[in-house]
Amino acid sequence: MSDDLKAIAETKKEWEERSVAPAMKRFKLAENPTRFYTPLDLPDFDFLEKVGFPGQYPFTAGTYAFLPYQAGLKGTGFIPQSPELVRAGRYSGYGAPEDYRDYQKQMYSLGARTGPNIAFDLPTQLGYDSDSPMAEGEVGRTGVAVSSLRDFEVIYEAFTGEMNIDRIASNFTINAPANMIIAMYVALAEKRGIPIEKLRATPQNDILKEFVGRGAYIFPPQPSMRMMRDSIVFITRHLPNLNITSIGGYHMREAGATREQDLAFSMVIGAAYLQEGVNAGLEIDSFAPRFSFNVFGGSMEFYKEIAFQRAARRMWARILKERFGAREPRSMLLRQAHTAHIGCSATTLQRPLNNLVRTAVGGMASAMSGGAPESWPPYDEPLGLGWSLEAIQLAEDAQRILQHEAKICEVMDPFAGSYFMESLTDQMEEVGWTEFEKIQTMGGVVAAIESGYMQQEVAKSAYERQKRIENGEDLVVGVNCFTGEHELEVTTARLVPHPYDPEKVELAESKQMANLKEVKRARDNRSVTQVLKDLEAAAKKETENLIPKLIECVKAYTTIQEMCDVLRGVFGKYEETNI
Amino acid sequence: MGQERKIRVLIAKPGLDGHSRGAKVVAYGLRDAGFEVIYTGLHQVPLQIVNTAIQEDVDVIGLSILSGAHLTLTQRIIQGLQEKGAGDKMVIVGGVISPDDTLKLKGMGVAEVFTSGTSIRQISQFIKDKVRTGALASFEGKGD
Repeated sequence: MSDDLKAIAETKKEWEERSVAPAMKRFKLAENPTRFYTPLDLPDFDFLEKVGFPGQYPFTAGTYAFLPYQAGLKGTGFIPQSPELVRAGRYSGYGAPEDYRDYQKQMYSLGARTGPNIAFDLPTQLGYDSDSPMAEGEVGRTGVAVSSLRDFEVIYEAFTGEMNIDRIASNFTINAPANMIIAMYVALAEKRGIPIEKLRATPQNDILKEFVGRGAYIFPPQPSMRMMRDSIVFITRHLPNLNITSIGGYHMREAGATREQDLAFSMVIGAAYLQEGVNAGLEIDSFAPRFSFNVFGGSMEFYKEIAFQRAARRMWARILKERFGAREPRSMLLRQAHTAHIGCSATTLQRPLNNLVRTAVGGMASAMSGGAPESWPPYDEPLGLGWSLEAIQLAEDAQRILQHEAKICEVMDPFAGSYFMESLTDQMEEVGWTEFEKIQTMGGVVAAIESGYMQQEVAKSAYERQKRIENGEDLVVGVNCFTGEHELEVTTARLVPHPYDPEKVELAESKQMANLKEVKRARDNRSVTQVLKDLEAAAKKETENLIPKLIECVKAYTTIQEMCDVLRGVFGKYEETNI
Repeated sequence: MGQERKIRVLIAKPGLDGHSRGAKVVAYGLRDAGFEVIYTGLHQVPLQIVNTAIQEDVDVIGLSILSGAHLTLTQRIIQGLQEKGAGDKMVIVGGVISPDDTLKLKGMGVAEVFTSGTSIRQISQFIKDKVRTGALASFEGKGD
């Protein structure tokens, strides 16, 4: 120990005796309820190795040197914009394709100049057409219904001229049938005479996390990875402006994963996708820069969420550099739309306006961990599907207040060098690596999903959290504490009409039934049979890339379900393991 | 006469919603509270749930739905139970359900709706109370 540290250790001892002990005695405490960090907690700290500069390896201090919205540009709420960036707009989607097209036109008339960030309904996400018995009651509810290219074409009627698909970016929140949706975008471009290399889009295309959280899977993990490989190869060769995937730990954390599980599982999943690309013969730096991240999970634990983001950036950079031998810094970037936040599961149905306060804390964590000061989600998140415009306004204003009044974004990684934050970041990364290696020794992430390990670990963590809430170990204001009779349930009206028309949601199913009937009547059904046969033959050949076949299928107006049924026949369906 | 028969609960995920945290946490919790719990897994059509409930001879069916499709799906399941002579089974629903829809669900015959923030203790107590007061007709006299 250096002389400096020795002196600190001695002073610390003295402090504990002279200051801490009397305070504990005064308040009748057996232990100091707080902690104070000193250089003793970070003895061999190497700034350049552990932190570095924002936008430089190992990216602990930030993915970029700075974010564009801070360069004097006004963000538009959840989506920081800049004239230099082409980005998709706010996540949206409902009803029949006609309804969503009209919504997009309305947004355009209100000044929106962003591409669609498409929420699909559950039948689409699970490979069922709107007229399937499996789809009953679900059509157009969690997003827009897309059964065939016809539906996709209708949505994109809102995107022409200055908003044509070579000038905007689209987001597709879809996983299991991601390659079908990519095929539709390609077919749409070809029909419009747009070179496909000009397309910009981000499909979520992160199927493995669906087995662990959210459950929007179709095929078993192995063939799902083959679909992933097909995306990686096809996008790398033909669609240079598409992101390959948008990896998210968020869904796993919301499903109950701990912070450490979120980190390790996200990293191990990302690394498995990278390995698919390498196994397919691609050079790591040729495709890793097209990997993006969506969002990790969050919680109310302010410090830990900031440490998590710092650890995640460093871990991803190390995976790329040390494990995959990447040389391009761009390959090592953890490119993500959002940083720390509180997570939807931190919001409460009870006294919901408290969620505003919670998300302001999340907005601070977000800004202090390298992102925009996003105060997300809007406070009425737990009240039902879809946020009110009032709640969105309040959330956006919270962000603006943090940025422009509190000036919270003026410093990058304000905790850099903090004895506390650096040691917490190190710990977080270490736990992440331990779990990462554990999954590798189980045979990798696919094996760990097939055995049910990851799903069960997450369910167990969810149950542990529930038990801690029920026995009062974890406190949630207004839910398991401070609920006495003198507490007020403060509410506010949500009166501004939402642009989603609830009547249209109700009518979406019947509208889509008619649309599908017309599609199936008007198309050449002999060529549909042929392209589906070709798809089946290709699917049986493991080495073949299915995307060219899927493009042929969608051009013939084959439906999502027809394509998925053929693949279900070849690949099988995933059945959940027991809990 | 042996031990009192445990109350049998089916925790089901109807429709395409894959958010299973609530369903699994409630399944674990009720199991620990002494119930016999069967979990269906995801992506069940109403008829599958009706059939499982009958085959497994459950007393209570807990439906977990967070996709907004709760009215249609619950209606189908209650209809299916009635058509198969199992209308006496208690149906409870959990999920993101508005107060208006809670009333509609109760109008269909749902015994209770549990939303976010509910403790497992409350659910378990509710089921036990219903059993004790005899509201759970199918449970009565089933000791083996």
